Amino acid sequence: MRTNNRGRAWFVAGFLAPATLLYAVFVVLPVCQAFQISLYRWRGISEQKTFVGLANFQRLAGDEVFRQALGHNLAFLLAGGALTLGLAMAIAHAIHGNGRWARVIRGVYLFPQIISMVVVAVLWMFVYNPSFGILKASLQSVGLGRFAMDWLGTPGTALPAVLVTFVWHAVGFHIMLFSAGLRTIPAEVQEAATLDGADGMLRFRQVTLPMLFPVLRVAIVYMVIGALNVFALVYLMTVGGPDRRTEVMLTYLYEQAFKHSDFGYGTALAVANLAVVMALSGLAMLLLRRDPTEAKA
Amino acid sequence: MRQPRWRKLLRDGLVMAALAAFALTVVLPLVWVFVTSLKSSPEVFASPWSLPGSPRWDNYARAWREAGIGQCALNSLIVTLATLAILLPVGSMAAYIFARYPFRGSRTLFGAFLGGMTFPLFLTIVPLFFLLQALGLFDSLEGLTLVYVAYSLPFTVFVMTGFFQTLPQELVESAMIDGCGHVTAFWKVMLPLARPGLLVVGIFNAIGLWNEYPLALVLVVSDEIRTLPLGVANLMMTEHYQSDWGALFAGLVIVMGPVLAVYWAFRDRIHDTMVAGALKG
Repeated sequence: MRTNNRGRAWFVAGFLAPATLLYAVFVVLPVCQAFQISLYRWRGISEQKTFVGLANFQRLAGDEVFRQALGHNLAFLLAGGALTLGLAMAIAHAIHGNGRWARVIRGVYLFPQIISMVVVAVLWMFVYNPSFGILKASLQSVGLGRFAMDWLGTPGTALPAVLVTFVWHAVGFHIMLFSAGLRTIPAEVQEAATLDGADGMLRFRQVTLPMLFPVLRVAIVYMVIGALNVFALVYLMTVGGPDRRTEVMLTYLYEQAFKHSDFGYGTALAVANLAVVMALSGLAMLLLRRDPTEAKA
Repeated sequence: MRQPRWRKLLRDGLVMAALAAFALTVVLPLVWVFVTSLKSSPEVFASPWSLPGSPRWDNYARAWREAGIGQCALNSLIVTLATLAILLPVGSMAAYIFARYPFRGSRTLFGAFLGGMTFPLFLTIVPLFFLLQALGLFDSLEGLTLVYVAYSLPFTVFVMTGFFQTLPQELVESAMIDGCGHVTAFWKVMLPLARPGLLVVGIFNAIGLWNEYPLALVLVVSDEIRTLPLGVANLMMTEHYQSDWGALFAGLVIVMGPVLAVYWAFRDRIHDTMVAGALKG
């Protein structure tokens, strides 16, 4: 029995070792190093690594570009999030049946989510292309050609243009979440509500929405993470421009670390990004802690 | 009684129109990429909606050879397959322990693995950049592969643990009565049974790896080992000067075509895995 137990211990350790080692070296160790590096001024050459305490974070607090970038991330979260969640909720609700269009959409709605972000970005750059893009051609075909412009190159329209692309990419994931949530609502509950005279919007507000609440909470947390971690879309479509009008936290991080070799400051930006993500998702959880279905019971 | 019915018809009609508009918004841009990949540059400039006079398959030949997309596709294929070849056995072994051999601290270790699914990737990007240089793995497909394995482990371990928990324990017990050790029971009995789980986790990871951009952007610099997303992004920057739009769009089709085909073939299982992963909390 003793040997048997010892054999089991070796087996457990042996089977866990490869995964744990890879995970420790390439994930856990860099996470710990990130916090450490954020306290240094570091140009990438080891001799020039100087401990500066919280100086990077003080610099961050007074950094006008960081403030702008954070504001753009919040625009992605609030405008992009509201649009994405609203659309996703409506579409998930509309395809919760077996009509022809419901079946078509269930087949295609995840397409924008599963193709590479690089394809999404390049594709939409050509939608917005001022000389032969889809958008310009569409405006011209309905006689609105005079409104055609260089959407991504104009300060006032660049952020909204990237935001639309963000929503196009993100909406499928949230349709998926809400559809899964809707399937958990028993048909009898819906029928009972209908018999009680609740139909349409009333039924949605009184029955469906409260029962979708746990899924909505998860969706909002995903939205926080997604909106604060926009990178490839902005980096490829506008590189943060024009004139930093689309700069987001992660494109600024990339610029500081890998273009200016200011690795300490870049990593401080990464830590700040994590802090904002955690603070906002924590806040969302706190505000949405009360589950209306439980409160009514 | 008549009026509500009339209103219901109107409402259904509006909902249908809105759904059709949504489906077109999703599909039309992708169709447009494909159509444009078969046009000559003058045709692209003339009108974005027109169909090509005759399909220019040579756009694909130029993208593949002259623009280097062929090499990039090969690199992406190598990295994706190598990552899966390490990830699936390594992740399954760990998952099997978490599912069937609880020990003191196993919940904590499992939680540490799952934690990797929640924190932002960019937190580790600067340390990884230097870690790979210190290990002599920077700017190499081997280094990128090991990083991909590590960052794919959390999801893989999570899904496979759930899968192993659903398999009947009696099979292992009877195998061990027949004289199999723990190790043999795993490789000979449990892993073959877990094939459906491995398939869907493998496909799901393969799509993500084929598409991956930020890690490759930071960890790869040499032209010869660029992955497809890097190659296409780079092509876009240079095509700005060359104006060979047909080849660029052919490149886009080469990146997204295989993903869409694989997704279409396995869409139900991919969908269920994504839901399971997303609603884990």
